[in-house]
Amino acid sequence: MLIRALGWITTIIYLIIIPLLFFFGSLDALSLYFALVILVVALAAALYSNEYIAADFESGLISKPKALAYYLLFNLFIVSMLVVVVVDNLGVMWAAIEMTTLISAFLVGFYNNKGAVEAAWKYIIICSAGIILALIGTILFSYALLGTAQVDANLIKVAFIFILVGYGTKAGLAPMHTWLPDAHSQAVSPASALLSGVLLKTSIYAIIRYSILVNSFLGPDFTGRLLMLFGLFSLAVAAGFILVQKDIKRLLAYSSIEHIGIIALGLGLGTPLSIYGALFHVFNHAAAKSLLFFGAGNIVKKYHTHDFAKIKGVLRTLPFTGTMILVGILALVGLPPFSIFFSEMIILLAAVLKGSYVVASLYLFFIVLIFAGIIYHFSQILFGPKPDNLIVTKEPASSKLAFLFLLGFICLLGVAMPGPFNRLLLSAVSLIRGM
Amino acid sequence: MELLLLLGILALAYAMVSAKRMSALIAGFKFQSGLLFVLTGLEGLYVVAAIVLLLKVILIPFFLFRILKQIKVDEQVGFVVNPMLSLLAGLFLTYLSFIFARNLFSGGELGLIIALAVSFAVMGMGAFIMIFRLKALTQIIGLLVIENGIFLLASTLTGGLPLIVEMAVFLDVFVSVIILGIFVYRINALFTGIDVDQLKGLRG
Repeated sequence: MLIRALGWITTIIYLIIIPLLFFFGSLDALSLYFALVILVVALAAALYSNEYIAADFESGLISKPKALAYYLLFNLFIVSMLVVVVVDNLGVMWAAIEMTTLISAFLVGFYNNKGAVEAAWKYIIICSAGIILALIGTILFSYALLGTAQVDANLIKVAFIFILVGYGTKAGLAPMHTWLPDAHSQAVSPASALLSGVLLKTSIYAIIRYSILVNSFLGPDFTGRLLMLFGLFSLAVAAGFILVQKDIKRLLAYSSIEHIGIIALGLGLGTPLSIYGALFHVFNHAAAKSLLFFGAGNIVKKYHTHDFAKIKGVLRTLPFTGTMILVGILALVGLPPFSIFFSEMIILLAAVLKGSYVVASLYLFFIVLIFAGIIYHFSQILFGPKPDNLIVTKEPASSKLAFLFLLGFICLLGVAMPGPFNRLLLSAVSLIRGM
Repeated sequence: MELLLLLGILALAYAMVSAKRMSALIAGFKFQSGLLFVLTGLEGLYVVAAIVLLLKVILIPFFLFRILKQIKVDEQVGFVVNPMLSLLAGLFLTYLSFIFARNLFSGGELGLIIALAVSFAVMGMGAFIMIFRLKALTQIIGLLVIENGIFLLASTLTGGLPLIVEMAVFLDVFVSVIILGIFVYRINALFTGIDVDQLKGLRG
């Protein structure tokens, strides 16, 4: 009872905070946009956690203090991510990003079994090591900007590489992504949604802040090339691992690497159109991926396995979740009329218009490959007869609401662009372009 | 005086890279942090120096020693690369750091270059300890040694970070050691001992 009440209170808090966000006059468009993404996913995750954690508690999987600790960690995690996107000091931003790792480590190691503890350990060690490189970059930056007269271009470049590799580790850019599939597959499902949906984006936010700074000295070419390189490499790595994947949550994790790659590519191309696409993609991916992690959470709860080979007939066993996953998958792989289709196409169009045909064709190639891989794996588990040992039970209303909430965004943004949202994106784009 | 302290910090990094026993490794970190404390104190940053003393010289080593005692981990650090070779690697890292520092700050005076080279070398050796030792605890210590190097870098380059940033970084370091410590206990309870080469259940 107490745990359900706590869940509802958390949900209501986020419901109230979202409109309040727009009264913060001091935030610029970029911070506002990322804060909005964080809060929307947080609201959905809180709504979904409600039933998920209560069920874990009732089945005796977790104790009562642990369920209470979950909500404490959940809220601290959201707060730490919000701090990242609202502070105007790059040093404090660094500390806040490290804090997000430390808090979410407990959500990754939540179930305290061998897999979860291993994932949590790798997560903290790899991300801390990565982010410590970002601290070196931060210090080099502050030194380079200290001298007022002439900024040393070499120093700025070296500093940015430290920043990109450091925050790129946390963002899940390949080849620094190795912690990501472990952590995302072992975490509590609502936390997986937060990790994939928004945590990765806070590091992208940090990278954007630094590229604005670097571009104002060196022009957009240097950061653009590096971002495109890492972006395409992430797409390639994700494509390879998605094709051979056996674990449903790991597949979704690799798909996050893919989408982070797409965002990095869009930012790297550097035209107003591509940056617009990349920022739009941040929101679309957050909504679609959270929805799918919720779905995967329900599947894992029902079937007690992550293994594709052992999951059959989801549409019959979990009719509602199954339908949502089917729609979510179609959205994730980039089919119209869902929003991801448009952001992916905007970036492709931007690449073609810029004349980067090699980049455009590589991008298209990997996306098609991933499309095939994801559709293949999910058609295996969604269709087919219901396993005999499972009974169809009614799915709780609050988790249905979480699905519908996210689905609403995915569909709405696919057919119409609300004016205020568009204006927010456009002013964030001009901020990134340094105008 | 400053040069002497820097050399001391470097020498302790060599000692840690070639240390065979866990307690020697922790003691090395403790003394290195002690030298950092003296260095910051000489620069007149008393608040920061006090925090270094409290956190890195007293609390963190105490906590690490406590873990060591409680889980009765065997004293070996678990070598992937033997001590002699590790020391050679440490010397090589120092040379690389010197080249890196000289190229990056080509206009700088020799004192600055040496301080930078020492800080990069300490970071490099911290990373070396993280990668080439097998115990979970050694990874924590490696991380802390890298952090010591970064602290040195910040204090030589910018005369220390702004106080609020410095505080936030210290908070992070402290919290991360506590949290990593908690996970060391969990690893010890779930696996046999705290050798990290057992952590390979998750693949692909």
